[in-house]
Amino acid sequence: MVQPLSSQAIYVVLLRELKRYWRAKSRIVASVAQSFFFLVIFGFGIGGFIGRIGDVSYLSYLAPGIIGMGLLFGSIFSGISVVFDRQFGFMKEMLVAPVSRTSIILGKILGGALTASIQGILLMTVALLLGAFSPSITLGIGIVAAIGVMLLITAGFVGLGVAIGSTITDFHAFQLISTFVMWPLFMLSGVFFPIDAVPPILQVAMLCDPLFYGVELLRWCLLGAGTPLLGPFGWLIALGVIACFNLLMVGFGTYLFSRAQA
Amino acid sequence: MAIIEVDGLTKVFNGKVRAVDDISFNVKEGEILGFLGPNGAGKTTTLNMLSTLLRPSSGTAAVNGYDIHEEPDKVRRSIGFVFQDPTLDLELTGKENLNFHGLLYGLDRDLREKRIKEVLDVVQLTDRANDLVKTFSGGMKRRLEIARGLVHHPKVLFLDEPTLGLDPQTRRSIWEHIQRLNQEKNVTIILTTHYTEEADYLCGKILIIDFGKIVALDTSDNLKARLEGDVVSLAFKDPKMILQIRPIFEKKKWLRRMDVTSVGSNQSMAGRMMHMMRGMSGGMGMDGMMSGMRPESGRRNESVRHKGPNIQSVGPRRLNLLVDDGGRRIPEIVKLTNEIGILLESVELHKPTLDDVFLSVTGRNIRDEQGSFMEMIRRHRIMQQARGHRDSG
Repeated sequence: MVQPLSSQAIYVVLLRELKRYWRAKSRIVASVAQSFFFLVIFGFGIGGFIGRIGDVSYLSYLAPGIIGMGLLFGSIFSGISVVFDRQFGFMKEMLVAPVSRTSIILGKILGGALTASIQGILLMTVALLLGAFSPSITLGIGIVAAIGVMLLITAGFVGLGVAIGSTITDFHAFQLISTFVMWPLFMLSGVFFPIDAVPPILQVAMLCDPLFYGVELLRWCLLGAGTPLLGPFGWLIALGVIACFNLLMVGFGTYLFSRAQA
Repeated sequence: MAIIEVDGLTKVFNGKVRAVDDISFNVKEGEILGFLGPNGAGKTTTLNMLSTLLRPSSGTAAVNGYDIHEEPDKVRRSIGFVFQDPTLDLELTGKENLNFHGLLYGLDRDLREKRIKEVLDVVQLTDRANDLVKTFSGGMKRRLEIARGLVHHPKVLFLDEPTLGLDPQTRRSIWEHIQRLNQEKNVTIILTTHYTEEADYLCGKILIIDFGKIVALDTSDNLKARLEGDVVSLAFKDPKMILQIRPIFEKKKWLRRMDVTSVGSNQSMAGRMMHMMRGMSGGMGMDGMMSGMRPESGRRNESVRHKGPNIQSVGPRRLNLLVDDGGRRIPEIVKLTNEIGILLESVELHKPTLDDVFLSVTGRNIRDEQGSFMEMIRRHRIMQQARGHRDSG
């Protein structure tokens, strides 16, 4: 079914995502609080005996990773929410409308990326208030860049979520996805430990994790440097990998969604 | 003028289940057509095909002059669909749900404002428009869904079980809304239902569908007129007595047909399985209806006899006799039962209803059918939702 994209349809779906996000205040609070605990307990707790990593404090090292965690969970969940839409019917309302499925899914991906990034901005603010980043003019520029990076890395994960949500049909699969997809992506993204400090096999695994490059980019923006392993142009490599991942996932999610029966 | 033309529409699931089996019919503009049938008869599948949500296995249809294969987009623009499962976004307000719908159908801001005001007025929800839908009662949600289906001024409105799980009062008010829509806006309406009284009250024409085939299509009055005579319905102190009395009635010339029906809707699983299997073996169709008119016609009677051992397990049952001049037969019927010492509990006399018509064309009582186990659970869930959150509305 080849149908033209409809900007109005994309806008509706996007607007719906934003409204729903905004109205689920308890979810926002829970997620911000969770990241706050991570930052405080790990940052000051473990940081107390680890000391510094490279030339930044453990808290500073941790912060971009925790922001990455918020982005990952937020975006994958909003992608997977196509399952809920299907289960609770709203999807039918969209599918019977004279708009293409591609418009619907692009709206979903944009909306998911936007809400997850808002989440990321909240977490970045928390980290800033905890003193994770040293204030300067470059940090100001870095923060703006970081917001762009957030939008970029979330789009691919929403796509992945949509792909998952279009494939699974029951809620029991959630536990599996959480254990085998989300947690490994999170743990291997270099949140807690630098990549050059782990055995080679784990290094390879980390290099296969798209979120690793996302966190890497956030570190470039907020701390001014990434891991030495990727060299002085690490940010360029990271950007390239994320761009490829995005194209792949958005395409994959759109394809699987268009194929799925209402 | 026919606004919907259906030609040999067929849907086969998994290569073997013929959910809809080569159906053809036309609907005139401004008509209210009711699909009457038990669960799993193929009603929703037909609607899904007509609305382009589901691809037919073969056959085609035109809605508002547009072919469902060739111009699905134009078909979608011509129709409104109120689904059986609730499809409102509960986290949004009533107005937002309507506004999103308008946006999806490409209406500009002014037109949206105007239409939203208009449809809210039609279903009398103006004063609750800015509340979150999750605070609405079941009936209000249903009304809002109907309103939503109208925002883009469809030529045809599909209503899938519009009053499932609603209380009689709400049901009545929704019927009135549907009727008003049809009269004031000249919207052609196709609705599915398994409530005979709903089809009777609302629908100009009734299409009875069973195992994916059309078994009758006519006005309610014409359908009832096919069953000449009156229905005398007997209840016995001991339902097992039905077996004893049947052969005696069968010999009578004044008997046109005889059916055993259950009272209430709950049947044991075993009883339901029997029904399903019986229906599958006896290929239904128009000829089935004709032969069913005569009590002697083998298959129908045989099938009822098969049900014999089951009678006990399926709760209270009645014996329905279609007879000429019912009022004058009652004394004779009572006398016959007394002669062989069978105790009658009650005797009712009525003109044939749509229930009787349904029974005569499908060989089953519409209320017996509950569909698959999963279907029952799903329905239960819808009903719970419909009945939950009931407030002042």
